[in-house]
Amino acid sequence: MADPLAIPPTRSLLGLLLRVKVRSMWNRTRQAVNEAPVRLSAAVILVALIWLGLYWLFYLVFGQFRRTPLEATVAIPLVFNFFFVAMLVMLTFSNAIIAYGALFGKTESAYLLTAPLTPRDVVTLKYLESTVMASWSLILLGLPLMIALADAAERSVLSVAQRPVFYAVFIAFFLAFIPIPGALGMLLAWAAARFCPRRTIQSAAVAGGILVAGFVIWGMRSLRLGETDAEVWLRSFLARMSFIESALLPNNWVAAGIDHMIHNQLPQSLLYLGVTLANAFFISWLAVMIVSRYFDRAHDRAAASRSGSKRPASQASGGLAGLLFFYLPPPLRLIAAKDLRTFSRDPLQWSQLVILFGLMALYLTNMPTLRVEFSGSGWFLIIPFLNLCAVSLILATFTCRFVFPLVSLEGQKLWLVGLVPTPRGHILLAKFAFAMTVTVLVAVATMALATVMLELDTVWAVIHVVVTVGICFGLCGFSVGIGARLPMFNQTNTARIANGLGGTTNLLASVALVATVLIGVGVATWRSRDLTSGRLPDVASLAICGAAVLVTIAAGLAALRIGARHFNRVEV
Amino acid sequence: MNNTDHAIALVGVTKSYGRTIAVRDLSLEVPRGKLFAFLGPNGAGKTTTIKLIVGLLRPDTGWIHVCGHEVGSNGLAAKAQLAYVPDQPFLYEKLTGREFLYFVAELYGISTRRRDSLLESLIHRLDVGEFLDQLTESYSHGMKQRVVLAAALLHEPAVLVIDEPMVGLDPRAIRVVKNLFVEHTRNGGTVFMSTHTLDIAEAVADQIGIIHRGKLIAVGTLDELRAQARRQHSLEEIFLQLTEVSDG
Repeated sequence: MADPLAIPPTRSLLGLLLRVKVRSMWNRTRQAVNEAPVRLSAAVILVALIWLGLYWLFYLVFGQFRRTPLEATVAIPLVFNFFFVAMLVMLTFSNAIIAYGALFGKTESAYLLTAPLTPRDVVTLKYLESTVMASWSLILLGLPLMIALADAAERSVLSVAQRPVFYAVFIAFFLAFIPIPGALGMLLAWAAARFCPRRTIQSAAVAGGILVAGFVIWGMRSLRLGETDAEVWLRSFLARMSFIESALLPNNWVAAGIDHMIHNQLPQSLLYLGVTLANAFFISWLAVMIVSRYFDRAHDRAAASRSGSKRPASQASGGLAGLLFFYLPPPLRLIAAKDLRTFSRDPLQWSQLVILFGLMALYLTNMPTLRVEFSGSGWFLIIPFLNLCAVSLILATFTCRFVFPLVSLEGQKLWLVGLVPTPRGHILLAKFAFAMTVTVLVAVATMALATVMLELDTVWAVIHVVVTVGICFGLCGFSVGIGARLPMFNQTNTARIANGLGGTTNLLASVALVATVLIGVGVATWRSRDLTSGRLPDVASLAICGAAVLVTIAAGLAALRIGARHFNRVEV
Repeated sequence: MNNTDHAIALVGVTKSYGRTIAVRDLSLEVPRGKLFAFLGPNGAGKTTTIKLIVGLLRPDTGWIHVCGHEVGSNGLAAKAQLAYVPDQPFLYEKLTGREFLYFVAELYGISTRRRDSLLESLIHRLDVGEFLDQLTESYSHGMKQRVVLAAALLHEPAVLVIDEPMVGLDPRAIRVVKNLFVEHTRNGGTVFMSTHTLDIAEAVADQIGIIHRGKLIAVGTLDELRAQARRQHSLEEIFLQLTEVSDG
């Protein structure tokens, strides 16, 4: 028996905690290699394809800059400045979300807090973990960016022999930059738990939404084309954006360092690397100290906020569900209404939809200024088509992330839902009806706004709206159908369901479907040169658009059918 | 009161979640070497009390001592004496049971030789050897519960705090766990157990506390509770009577 009065030495057990994480990762990798080699190979090939695609894209961009060396001198640091400032904001938010779950979640952190570990060890572990989890995509983007930049650089400036040094310094810049948004994100997560523990996620979603909306409004004002002279506009825009080149911002240190490296100025580049590293260490230390010092109170408040508050059955949401799903038979209407209620109570879902389409709406309200600038040029043909592309990709993101997991989650409640007096496959119809209703309402409203702002011809306006509905149908059909064919019934985490084999298959299929439809509509748009002249598009263009819509509807129906056949047989 | 005399001492502890008071003015002493069964209806405040004892929650008012160490101000020393098994046991999914137990041993600074000898006995008694080298993600609830119990007993804690220990266990495992608890108290350890399984509490508990709507409504040995309820009946009837009286 342990001596009850003994006071344990305050030794750091961070090394032990990190070893456990490494061991878990090793076991996970070994399991993937042994049990799912095909899936692993597919993932590796997919990543390689994405890398190649990104490399090609970056190479084209930097190659374009190389043709005009004078412009490249100005543009390349600016591109990096914008890239890293965007990364700073995005990574800070994704770190905040991941760090919140890691620090104040119910499972591992609760277990570690009952062990004789110092809060500093737990907080440091969670800081490292969330930073790695949130930032791997930057590495994914960064590697092809780095190679393309080196390959596109003038050989007289960066010789083949110098490239290894360039790659090493570039990677060092990435690694030095990543802890900064990591630390800011963790501080945000801690502050959310400490100061607004009640409905933290809702508060964060609203705060994030307000911040993004504010950023966009400010950005759109900066972009507003008050001047017809493009050079004057560009100067004005750059002047407004000059704050991102402030010497106090980390994006500027990284951009300046890389720029020096491209011009083979290693000492200057290393100076900026040193500045970035020193600041990264300092802010990491500061964040770990603050959070671990006040961790127990924040954890207590976060845990207390999970105790739940009363939520009376909302008559309003019941009435709305009755209105939206009036066409469904009663048992299916109940399932769709349940999904609507769950959706309305999950701010992660609706806030993403609101933010993404809110951004679109803000952009569309600025359409008239773009229209004036581009009237009479070929650009005007492309703008409505680009709007359709943006809406389609947002829809694909939403359905893959939030609609796809619906069937897997339902599988865990099949003991209840499976007893509904209706064929099991019909449950999928309820899921489909719910997803279709939400996506059509939001997407059609957005596209209608776009056509109004652009004063598009009625025929083309109708074509765009019909294509949007078709895409909603296809994407919802895919997400529900593939979700039923390749479900993950043992998983409750929607992110993991969406990132699994079924989710990845659904994502690829959805992107392929959207690409197919958009190629069709793109060809039809190109054939009809003047959309505002009042002339109708020719028969071939109409036929192409019609075929694209029929293809997406057929694909959606096929996916639903395959999913329903499997779902009827499945044993949970 | 000298708090070092007791394994667990709560003094005037209150904890609320917003407007809901989960635990109100709770004072309780659990002597060393005793098995204390903590009973109460659903939502009575049992799990909140346990989380307060193990330091996962902070009391709004009052103090909590474990083996004389105040949990709020001297948490590390208190936690070194504790082992906690929650109702939903935590295991690293991508570790094997054996890897997890080795991790726990290192966490509590147990030497390799001591760890191996303790583990051999626990593996045998809890009958976990068959699946100990599989990843824990493949375990059933009962298997997880047995491995977590082994982890909790591995460092020979002075105080074992356990929330619903018998859920998911088969009758044979329940018998083994009951014996382990009794043995732990005979060796000078203390067990603080919350449960809904009244016959187990009746069979093994030295002391029983009943909490209802956040208030401790009865505490004592089974005979003392019988006297309080003025009945010579089973713990189940005493429990129902006391909670009904409290409602009334």
